[in-house]
Amino acid sequence: MRAFEVFAAKDSNHAVALLAQHTGVKVKVLAGGTDLLADLKFSPHSPDVIVDISRAQDLKDITLSEDGLSIGTLVTHSQIMRSPIIREMFPALVDAAHSIGAVQTRNLGTLGGNLVTGVPSMDSGPTLIALDAQVTIAGPSGRHQVPLHEFFLGPRKTILKHDELLAEIVIPKQNLGKPADFLKFGLRKGQALSLVNVAACFWVDWERNTFVAPAIALGAVAPKIIRTPQAEAYLEGREITLEAMVEAGHIASTEARPITDFRASAEYRRHLVAILSRRALEHAYTLAKAKRPGEIKK
Amino acid sequence: MMNVTLKVNGETRTASVPAETTLLKLLRESFNLTGAKLGCDVGDCGACTVIVDGLPVNSCLMLVNQADGREVLTIEGLASTDRLHPLQKVFEDFGSLQCGFCGPGIIMSAKALLDDNPSPTVPEIRDALGGNLCRCTGYAKMIEAILSAAGARETADKSA
Repeated sequence: MRAFEVFAAKDSNHAVALLAQHTGVKVKVLAGGTDLLADLKFSPHSPDVIVDISRAQDLKDITLSEDGLSIGTLVTHSQIMRSPIIREMFPALVDAAHSIGAVQTRNLGTLGGNLVTGVPSMDSGPTLIALDAQVTIAGPSGRHQVPLHEFFLGPRKTILKHDELLAEIVIPKQNLGKPADFLKFGLRKGQALSLVNVAACFWVDWERNTFVAPAIALGAVAPKIIRTPQAEAYLEGREITLEAMVEAGHIASTEARPITDFRASAEYRRHLVAILSRRALEHAYTLAKAKRPGEIKK
Repeated sequence: MMNVTLKVNGETRTASVPAETTLLKLLRESFNLTGAKLGCDVGDCGACTVIVDGLPVNSCLMLVNQADGREVLTIEGLASTDRLHPLQKVFEDFGSLQCGFCGPGIIMSAKALLDDNPSPTVPEIRDALGGNLCRCTGYAKMIEAILSAAGARETADKSA
């Protein structure tokens, strides 16, 4: 690695101040380091300064508040897998975290770090986007929130400016406990990049047995993670049947814009979208039934 | 240059190294602990696995600044001069390694697993070794060895 200077941030305000102090030079933020260090070793564009936020205590919490569930940017994938709140409310986020890298990288790698890479196949994104997650961005003029869906601009591109920090991820209150499922298809089980990943979630109107506020998010099939407005509109208010889920999967596959590369063809990815969307909807329904209030579990 | 102080295998160690030094490089070149290996250098192969504050990590992906002040356990911290660690013993008994390059990383991953989950299932062992590549053995004998070590530990706990 080429030489650089490291400045350690005590907390998020200190990190933002450090970023503001180094505007004329190339700066990178270090959270878990699993992506950054791999890049630094092989990239010709190494930074002059690294702002190490890995010890910023205020970015490490998982908390329930009036706004919803807040996950600090530095929460690691392993911590998501072990969090009692997340395991209870969003097993899909646990599955997504588990599908990332391997034990060693999950112990270092952070949720925020995964998101800021902007890689279209990232596994932490789809579930959060299906759940309408917001991200809090900290910068020199304070903090503001944007939908995670709008945070991404394209492959490896986000709206984050050089003096800004992704501080937290918030799942809004109205979606707490919303039955969701995440599925990933890779070429093997361990350390695989997703050919396609899918998250689906919906509430159930138990009187009518219909879909309420359905959402499907797809990864690795467009320049950024996408939602599927047509499939969602098709499902909204419709009776929950396997046929409806199959059809929604087909519609979602027409909304995907996959490319052919050395991992898979566009046709194959489209096929995967149809199958995985249907399965994710089925799993979310199974979860909804298990969570149904007042339901006597047999 | 940057001054770092960390506990390695129970001993407090200090060094003055460039900021771009990884924990792996620090261990191997400043402390002469060459058990952790430089394999892929990007966090795929797991040959550099060490345990930091109880968790297995890729030491090739950690800058010294991240490791400063923390507790690091390497393969050298397992055995004493006259006795192998139980995991090292079962790896020897089962012939779990061939060339051995991946061994230190695999054994540290297995140790972290058993510390957290004393009687793992085979899928749990496979998951725990998912970040360690071995190109010789096919993993089967490692999994048998880890199961055996877990069994032995359980027996030891019961008799204690």
